Amino acid sequence: MDLLIKNATITDPGSPHHGQQRDIFIRQGKIEAIEAEVLLKDVPVLEGEQLKASPGWLAMGVQTGDPGLEQREDLRTASEAAAAGGFTAITCQPNTDPAIHSKSEVLYVRNNTGGQLVACYPIGAISRNCAGKELTEMIDMHAAGAVAFSDGKKAVQHSGLMMRALQYVQAFDGLVINQPLERDIAGEGQMHEGYTSTTLGMKGIPAIAEEIMVQRDLHLLAYTGSRLHLANLSTAGAVEMVRQAKARGLRVTASVPVMNLAFDDSALDGFDVNFKLLPPLRSRADRDALRQGLLDGAIDAITANHAPLEEELKKVEFPYAQFGAIGLETVYAVCKTYLGDWLSDELFVEKTAINPRKILGLPLPSLEVGQPAELAVFSPAQQWVYRRENGYSRSHNSPLFDRPFTGKVLAVVNRDQSFFNRHR
Amino acid sequence: MATVQQLSTKHVLGIKYLSESDIRLIFETAKSFKEVLNRPIKKVPSLRDVTVANLFFENSTRTRISFELAEKRLSADIVNFSASSSSVKKGETLLDTVNNILSMKVDMVVMRHPAPGAHHFLAQHIDANIINAGDGTHEHPTQALLDAFSMEEAVGELAGRKVAIFGDILHSRVALSNIFCLNKLGAKVRVCGPPTLIPKHIAELGVEVSHDLKDSLRWCDIANVLRIQLERQDISYFSSLREYAQYFGINKPLLDSLDKPIVIMHPGPINRGVEITSDVADSEHSIILQQVENGVAVRMAVLYLLAAKR
Repeated sequence: MDLLIKNATITDPGSPHHGQQRDIFIRQGKIEAIEAEVLLKDVPVLEGEQLKASPGWLAMGVQTGDPGLEQREDLRTASEAAAAGGFTAITCQPNTDPAIHSKSEVLYVRNNTGGQLVACYPIGAISRNCAGKELTEMIDMHAAGAVAFSDGKKAVQHSGLMMRALQYVQAFDGLVINQPLERDIAGEGQMHEGYTSTTLGMKGIPAIAEEIMVQRDLHLLAYTGSRLHLANLSTAGAVEMVRQAKARGLRVTASVPVMNLAFDDSALDGFDVNFKLLPPLRSRADRDALRQGLLDGAIDAITANHAPLEEELKKVEFPYAQFGAIGLETVYAVCKTYLGDWLSDELFVEKTAINPRKILGLPLPSLEVGQPAELAVFSPAQQWVYRRENGYSRSHNSPLFDRPFTGKVLAVVNRDQSFFNRHR
Repeated sequence: MATVQQLSTKHVLGIKYLSESDIRLIFETAKSFKEVLNRPIKKVPSLRDVTVANLFFENSTRTRISFELAEKRLSADIVNFSASSSSVKKGETLLDTVNNILSMKVDMVVMRHPAPGAHHFLAQHIDANIINAGDGTHEHPTQALLDAFSMEEAVGELAGRKVAIFGDILHSRVALSNIFCLNKLGAKVRVCGPPTLIPKHIAELGVEVSHDLKDSLRWCDIANVLRIQLERQDISYFSSLREYAQYFGINKPLLDSLDKPIVIMHPGPINRGVEITSDVADSEHSIILQQVENGVAVRMAVLYLLAAKR
């Protein structure tokens, strides 16, 4: 695969060309030249308004339905949606059917995605069927290629199990991921507990349902000395606890869903089921604290929190609708459209390309001559509209259709392949 | 009763979505209908050729009867549907159920449903006028309208008046709709009950919160006593009915100890001896039966005004 990218500003702190506007020539999947001007004939050219190029982004914790729930999303459609969103790699949540809870499922994901543009890294389950009871064979899954361990969107409720998981992975200095939510307190809550839930008569999920579990996990982490990633935080209290834990030297990292950076719970005022997310959209103060955490480093990564669901599970009365929205294709656009200038492209790349790989211990691609080309090409200026018919995800549970966006991903390159998305 | 005024909305999904002048218009219209209801011939032809579907996905006796009577007094054609006798149990979705009924040319839908927001969901997908007869713990607008209408009958203008709502605020759509309605009409509102039955953020709606029954009775002009919703409590929010009755139940000696009479209301059905004793419910200060009577007139007004928007 050959490609000439014209006049792209290189956004890669690890590259000697960082901050420079360059032509990038990719030949047979390798970066052949990065120069002020590359003049070549008979080579496919990518050019456009205000192009930028960075190492390809990595989406942490993508929910697929493969195996078992392919009508929502299979590994191929998830990968295409990821590529359309600028991602050259994803980690796959273990909440499938069967769950990714043994070597077989880990190998299933790896073997089915080996040759494709988007690298799919399986996350192994902590507990069998993600049911929160028996520990899985984590050492075996690690050996087969699981990059981390988590019960995915199901928070680990049992403190003893969480402690043993953190201890067990020390055998290979593994990473445990938990998306915190204390179920006894969240109860049948449908959205953030606050003014909006009160006016809608809706059962709320109080912020402490997340914060209590973050507190617990940090205590367990201090006790075990392992590595922990707290996924998809949504509350001000959780961010502050992570900040303090990092200052104390605990090996903890954290991520935040892009939707929780952009919106707050007032988005639910009209009972829009596609804004019914987990973690829920929280108060404006929580949203602002997440933004601050991203700036000061308390939060390491931004996630798509991609959760595809069939229409039948969403087009129902609000309390009966399942939590979640697709999001892989719109992460950058949501940031550029709703977050304003405080989130620079450089910081965005740090939170989506660099930090996720550091957290997972994966090699960092770099925009340097001689390196394999793994990169995203995007433009902060280009405008587009997210149309349902142009989407790549097999599911359509997004609250963002037909919204005008500023900030567009144009292409990704990886593993000697390129992908140009059809969004206009 | 010709009127040139119209409601600002096509549906009555909740008090939240009505303006103060909508509420005033409903009250004015209800007054005329109340007068009709006291005539020997209680029927008017206003909704002739209008078909109303009463869809009750949750048990109801008084609200359903009240709506049915209101529709009959207006000469509407009626179809009744209740979840227990329906295809809902066979797994049909709300949208399919309602679309099936609407394809038989129904003009208006009166619906009660256990899910908050069910009426909003429906309003996005169907064409008929929708009246919310209760959606879970969200709103019950016609109850709040008939409550406020009855309050005005009893004490006059509500601006500046003090209304206390007692009991299970957490599980009550009546409380929420009452708060929205009374706020719009300028009354001062306080909620009083055990802390586990008061929503944490309710004060942000501009109401006072108290856990002191006697103090709240002293404070208010009108006491709206809510039913303890035992059927909607999946976990325990208070220890026993005995303790509830003792510390949050309203009884005669308590009322006699106040230095002024207060108006007693209850949306029904009453748990006699729990939130209110019989001698209070049946006392001369109670307007519980007037509420029921006004319910028909207010619902006639809502139906009539919405039909005019068609």
